[in-house]
Parts: sequence; C-alpha cells; structure tokens
Amino acid sequence: MLGFLLRRLGDIIPTFFGVTLLVFFLIRLIPGDPILMMAGERGVDAVRYAELQAQYGFDQPVIVQYYHYLVGVFQGDLGRSFVTKKPVFEEFMTLFPATVELSIMGILFAVIIGLPLGVIAAIKRGTIVDHTTMTISLTGYSMPIFWWALLLIMFFSTTLGWTPVSGRLSIFYYIEPVTGFMLIDTLISGEKGAFVSALRHLILPTIALGTIPMAVIARMTRSSMLEVLGEDYIRVARAKGLAPMRVIMVHALRNALIPVITVIGLQVGVLLAGAILTETIFSWPGIGKWIVEALGRRDYPTIQGGILMIAFLMMSVNLLVDLLYGVINPRIRHRR
Amino acid sequence: MALLEIQNLTVEFGSEDKPFRAVDTVSYHVDRGEVLGIVGESGSGKSVSSLAIMGLIDYPGRVTADRLSFDGQDLLKMSARRRRQITGKDIAMIFQDPMSSLNPCFTVEAQIMEALKVHEGGSKRQLRDRTMELLNQVGIPDAKSRMTAYPHQLSGGMSQRIVIAMAIACNPRLLVADEPTTALDVTIQAQIIDLLLKLQEDSDMALILITHDLALVSEAADRIQVMYAGQLFESAPSEGLFDKPRHPYTQALLEALPERSEGHHRLRTIPGVVPGQYDRPQGCLLAPRCRYANDRCVSEQPAITAFGGHDVRCFYPLDDQGQPTGRTA
Amino acid sequence: MSNQTLKTTAESADIHAAPPTPFQEFWQYFRRNRGALVGLIVIGVILFVAAFAQYIAPYDPITQDRTAFLKPPFWMEGADPRYWLGTDAVGRDIMSRLIHGAQLSVSIGVFVVIISMVAGITLGLVAGYFRGWIEVGVMRLMDIMLALPSLVLALAIVAILGPGLENAMLAIAIVQLPHYVRLTRASVVSELNKEYVIASQIAGAGHTRQMFINILPNCMAPLIVQGTLGVSSAILDAAALGFLGLGAQPPLPEWGTMLSEAREFVGSAWWVITFPGLCILTTVLAFNLMGDGLRDALDPKMKR
Repeated sequence: MLGFLLRRLGDIIPTFFGVTLLVFFLIRLIPGDPILMMAGERGVDAVRYAELQAQYGFDQPVIVQYYHYLVGVFQGDLGRSFVTKKPVFEEFMTLFPATVELSIMGILFAVIIGLPLGVIAAIKRGTIVDHTTMTISLTGYSMPIFWWALLLIMFFSTTLGWTPVSGRLSIFYYIEPVTGFMLIDTLISGEKGAFVSALRHLILPTIALGTIPMAVIARMTRSSMLEVLGEDYIRVARAKGLAPMRVIMVHALRNALIPVITVIGLQVGVLLAGAILTETIFSWPGIGKWIVEALGRRDYPTIQGGILMIAFLMMSVNLLVDLLYGVINPRIRHRR
Repeated sequence: MALLEIQNLTVEFGSEDKPFRAVDTVSYHVDRGEVLGIVGESGSGKSVSSLAIMGLIDYPGRVTADRLSFDGQDLLKMSARRRRQITGKDIAMIFQDPMSSLNPCFTVEAQIMEALKVHEGGSKRQLRDRTMELLNQVGIPDAKSRMTAYPHQLSGGMSQRIVIAMAIACNPRLLVADEPTTALDVTIQAQIIDLLLKLQEDSDMALILITHDLALVSEAADRIQVMYAGQLFESAPSEGLFDKPRHPYTQALLEALPERSEGHHRLRTIPGVVPGQYDRPQGCLLAPRCRYANDRCVSEQPAITAFGGHDVRCFYPLDDQGQPTGRTA
Repeated sequence: MSNQTLKTTAESADIHAAPPTPFQEFWQYFRRNRGALVGLIVIGVILFVAAFAQYIAPYDPITQDRTAFLKPPFWMEGADPRYWLGTDAVGRDIMSRLIHGAQLSVSIGVFVVIISMVAGITLGLVAGYFRGWIEVGVMRLMDIMLALPSLVLALAIVAILGPGLENAMLAIAIVQLPHYVRLTRASVVSELNKEYVIASQIAGAGHTRQMFINILPNCMAPLIVQGTLGVSSAILDAAALGFLGLGAQPPLPEWGTMLSEAREFVGSAWWVITFPGLCILTTVLAFNLMGDGLRDALDPKMKR
C-alpha cells in the first residue's frame, strides 16, 4: 500500500510542478505590461514603475522569478489580488468552504440518484425501464447546466416560488462564519429557521451541479453492473440459493462499485467546472464565481492562484480516490 | 423413487416464434448415491440442462418440463423462495472455471460461510469451525491461513478445491459438476476427480459429472448418457456404453479416443460441427455428420427406443459388431 | 448419396452468404441502435439548417425591430404573428437567431474537432512511434493539461488570448487535445508490435509511411468515436464560454451568448431562455447518441 502511494506521488509531483510552470507563465504570456495593467487607466510615473517592478520582482531574470514564485507557493503565498489587494490564498480559503459545501451536496445528489438508477437499469436490461433511465441519463449528460439552472430558477423560483433565486442564506439572518459551511454554521448559531433557509438555498444549485455527475454515475453503474452480472461468481452465488436481492446488493454491487468509485472521483473536475457556471448563476459566493469575476476584471494574480489551487485540489482528490480504490479492490491492495 | 427425475425437459432461447432449443425434450433420472456421467461436445446442451436443474436459466430463456422433481418435490411448481432453500443446500453445483467462480471481493472464508449461514445458520464460531473442517476435507494444506485469503491469491487447483468446499458445505444430496477439470492443468485434473469421487462415496451423495472427456467418465460414472445438439442420444451403464455403443455418434466418439484406436493409421474424427441455431437439420440431428445416414435420417427425426439394454435415439442402432441394424435398403 | 446432396447444399449456401464488407457490418450494428439513428437524423436536420441558414431564416439575425420587443411565441397571447418564436429584448427574431446559431455551433464543433484531432493525432503518433524522451515530454504535458477541469483550462487560455469566438474555439481545441493524443498513443503502442508493422519495417517503409499509412488507419475507430463526442463537448464548452461572456460576443447569434443576454429575463420572458438552451441540448444530445452508437458498432469487443 505504501509503495502504491509512493508510485502515485511520483506521477503527481512532476505534474504539479508542470502546473506551477503553466500558471507562472500565464501572466507573462498576456500581451501588455502587467504593471501598466495593474495601474489601470491612471498610469504610473517612471519612479513608481521601477518601484513596482522591484516589488513584484519583474526586474529579475525569469528563472529567478519562477524560483521566488515557487517558494511563495509552498509557503501559501499566491500573491495579492490586483483589485482587493488582499492575499489570494486568504481570499481562496474564505470562499472555498462555500464551493465545497455545494460540491458535496452535488455529488451526494448524483450518487443517491445515479447509483440506484444504474443498478435498476442493469437489472431490468432491455426493458422500458432501462431505456427510460438511460434516456434520462444521456439527456442529463448532454445538459448545458447554465441553461438547466435557469430553467430550474424559472420553474421552481419564479413560477412556483418554492425556492430562493440566489445566495446562500436569506438576508434576514446573519450568521457568523465558524466552519464556513452554511449548513453547519446555521445549526451552531441556533437561530431559528436559518438552517432551513440555508437548505432551501442549496436545493437548486445542488440539482444543477449534480445533474451531469448523476448521469455519468448512472451510465457507469449500469455498464459495470451488466459486466459483473455476467460473471461466473454471480451464477455461483445464485447456485448457493441466495436471494436475488442479496446476490445483487452484495455480490454484484460490491464488484461493480470498483470502477464506479473511480468515476465518482473523476467527477471532481466536472464539479469544479460546473461550480464556475452554477455559482455565477446562483450568485453563490464560492471560488467559481470568484474566478469568473477575476477574469472579468483581469485580476491576474487571482486567476493564477485560483487555477493553481483548482489543479492542486483535483490532483489531491484523484490521489485520494486511487487510495480508496486500493482499499475496496483487494487485487490492487495486495499487488507489490 | 429416483432422487432426481426429469421428463421432457426443454430449454429455449430467442424469440417465441423462432426459438432456439438448447435442450430438447430430455428425460433422465439420477438415483441416490449414483454417479451419472453426461458427455457431449460443446453446444450439446449438457451445461444448459444442468443450469435448468439449478433454476439458473434467466429470461429470455424458457424452461419447460413435464416433470422436474427432486426427492419427490416438483421444482418447477414450487415458489422461488422454496426452491432457493433446496438449491445450494440439497442440490449444489460446481462450475467449469474455478478462477472466475470465486468472487474477487470476498475472502475464501466469507464465501464458504455464506452458504452455511443462509441454509443452516449458527454462531460465527460454529460456522468458522465448519469452514475449517470443509477446507481440510477438500485437502487444502494450511487451511487456517487460507481462510482469509482472497481468490486472486490462489492457484487454479486450489480455487477449485475451495469451490468444491463451497458446494458440499451443506452436505448436498446431489452435486452437479459441470466440467470441473477443464480449466485446470492436466496434473491437477486427476486429483480433483479423485476428490469428487471420494466425497461422493463418503457421503453417499449423487453426482452428475458433465464432461466432454469420455475417458474420464468411463472410470468414474455408473451410468453415462451422451448428448448431442440438445438431445439425449444414448444412455447406458458405463461398461455397456464403452464395449457396445449402440448409437453411431457414441461409436464415432469412442473411435476418436486415442487410447482406443491403436493399430489405426490415423485417428478417426467426426467431420463437421454440432448444428447451431440456423443450421438445424430437419431429420436426425446427426444426419449431416453420420456415416450411416440415409434419406429417412435426413427427413425424419428418430425417437428414443430401447435396444440391447441401452436407450438409443436412432433408426438403425448398432449391433454387437458395430453395424447398423434394421436397414432395408 | 444423401451425404453428397447435403454437402453440396452446404457448399452453395457458403457461396451465397458472401461476408459483408466492413461498412455493411458496421451499418448492421449501427442500424440496430435506435438512439443512434435518431441522433443521426437530428444531426442531418441540423446540418441542413446550418448550411442553408441564410435561406431558411425568415429574418436577419441581428436586425432589430423597434416595434416588437420581447414578443412571445405565436401560440401565446400578445404574440406578433410575424415572429413565430417571439423576439428578444431588442426586437430580434428568435427563430432566425436560432437558425443562424446552428450555423455557428456546427462550425465551432467541426472546426474545433478538426484542429484538435489533426494536432492530437500527430502528437500521439510521434509520441507512440518514437517513444523515448519525446513520448515522456508530450505525455507529461498532456497530464498537466488534464490536471485542470476542461472549462477551467479553457478559461485560463481565453484569459491569455482575450475573449472572442476565434479565441474560444482555439482554447477548446487545446483543451480537447489530450484526449486525442492519449488515445492515439495508446493505439499506436499496441499496434507497434504487431506483425504487419514489423513486416513493412523489414520491407523498408520509412517513418512517415509507417506512422500515417500503416499504423494510423488501424487506430481510427476509437478516434472517430472520440471525435463525434468531441463535437458535442466543443459545442457545449463554446456555449458555456459564450454564456460567461468570454466566447462569441454579441450581437453574434451564438446560443450560449443568446442565453447570457437573456439571463435577466428569467422571471419575465421564458422564451428567450428556453429556446436557445433547447437547441444546445438537442444538438449535444444528438452527437452523444451518435457517438454511443458508433462506439458500440465499431468496438470489436461488443460484437462478440
């Protein structure tokens, strides 16, 4: 297991350095002088320009700049936002819990709906149930989620008035952030109705964000189940006289889940990409909306830091999934 | 009364109007403590018929029979729940490939204990002791450490022993072994067959041994039946079948055995293959491949008749000299 | 005698049943997949509409009619009968915009996939054929690109290039690159050891001939499938970039851009939101359906 971990780290670490390089050059590939861009329309005089150049280290050779950048990254220093002048890392950490909360809800939604759908479709293979399920799934997979989110708002918020349109919490409440997770914070605060309000704000973004992963999980579960159900050991299990439910839930599902877990792990990328659109539409104060706004304002340190953090996140989660995969798949666990 | 009685068992696949009969009106019986060998080429329906006995044929496959009874109880008429209480307990089955017969996600111990738990129950300790006993019984060295092994850590022969232990866990009265040695090394094959026969003798269970290896069943079985393209072609006591085959197909199979063709220049083979879904002959299913076939064989299907102590599906069963009888022209 | 007759009938049957050509065989499998057929038909319709947008669309997509702002579709009360699917906030005919949008989306999908495939296949071939440091370098670069969600990478590239349709297309083409590179390289590596490659090497085939004439055709099946699915994700990503204001810029009638302009009417004019999204969904779904069908029909594992 340790060897397995080390091997995966050996793959990931060079990739991470590659991403830092990419992100580092991002700001240098942009046409125009970064300092002039930072200064905006007012411009700077020559003295101030030289000062700023020295401050940001632009007067040093590129390789030295990269070295300083790397050192900074490992100390959690991602530079300062051009706009707010606050450290990028700090801003990221403030907004991150909101995205995590939304993503967790999204993936929960996806698993809770997608997994049973896939299992049912596999068991009822070739029937109308299977076809319907798979049509829904492919539609979900093809869904432009920014449009899907607008449709949800149109139907549930505007027409039915069931759910709020945007934000994380009704303006009637003020909750001091403790964990940054609104569901938890509202519970801690003990304020009446705040938790329900937070939950109601989560419903639509969760559905919008969870739809594509749901479709992917349903499809993967179905095909994985079908493959497993054709295996000899399933016949053997049935020949033992086990109830069909036990054969499916214990013998088949356990094996079928192995590839599904990997796919669930891969959804982190989908979630983060989806968060950019979902958060923008629902005015959800997370890192997705933050990056889109930074793009609009050409706030390059923020863009740079945000991308680096997303890459770091994705790689960490993928590593975690690989480890989990080893835990549930004995064939990997014992491989040396 | 026989332990297992089968009358006109038919298994069909495919559409209702153009079905493919994998098993075609097969009737036979197995007595208590008897070893019955079922022989045939691939596609002869020998595996499918045993799956039908176990109740493992799924939609779109259809199983029909005038009678399919075990120990006097009709398996087709009982509820699915009642039937599951019999399968795995009184009737058990071993499949061809031991490596894929074990669930890769569970330990040996868990998989053997599962059948015990479902059918007999008992405390975890009792179950574990019984599992250990079973592993010793099927000749697994160092049983204690194998208990917690995963299937991928076992060799083929070892896996097949585990599979056997799993099958005999609840002391079944009938064990169906579907080509239990085909996937194994030659050196292991004899060991596994010896083990099966020993278990059969010790506990007086009936054993259906399905194989395409005539030489193997000749030593093991009391009675042998030969299947071809879903039909039963010949059924006889072992020695009778070997000394005086009555069906041309049996004769041809025996001639294809290397050990029986000493003195011949070349090994005799049977030309062609077992007919499939689309090339099923109208008359006797063997007609296109039979060296004695005539016009009647091509146009008409023979029924099973008794001849010389055997049951034979042929218009012109062979006499003691191996020549067809009753031919007019 | 009977043996003889049987033999001859069997032989003649063999002669009649000539083996199907690869395309016939493919079509046999593809045809059985009803979803894929539907996808194919829908794609046919979309291609037709896209090709003849100028003639089909009743109005110019960017001409504004100041007498008809936010008119609903024809079956609603207050509709303007001239505009079947209604008008947007500045009085442009939605149907005409959607029809011209089809032209944009189809060209985006096709161009992106062609650019990405040509570059990706070349890189993959070179990496898989020459191995060594070239392979390590190329594959490592692809790993880095795959370390980011595709939309995030596309955003980063657009941030460098600046917003606009061409830049968005280029960004999406770059984002899709790793898929083609990986797929090609994997196939090449597995083909490389096959006898036919070794045989033509012995016969003196040069590197270029080996790569493009001998090996590449045998790797095409998965690439065709990936290309079809690539069209759908290109359309989707382009629409997303348009929606975020970083892709096609107004007044271009790109579906995502239309949605971006329509956002503020989420509570008042459902038609300006519903129709463009429906077009995106339909197009993407059609390509995905066809991609699935192609995969099943071309995948030799499924055939057995």
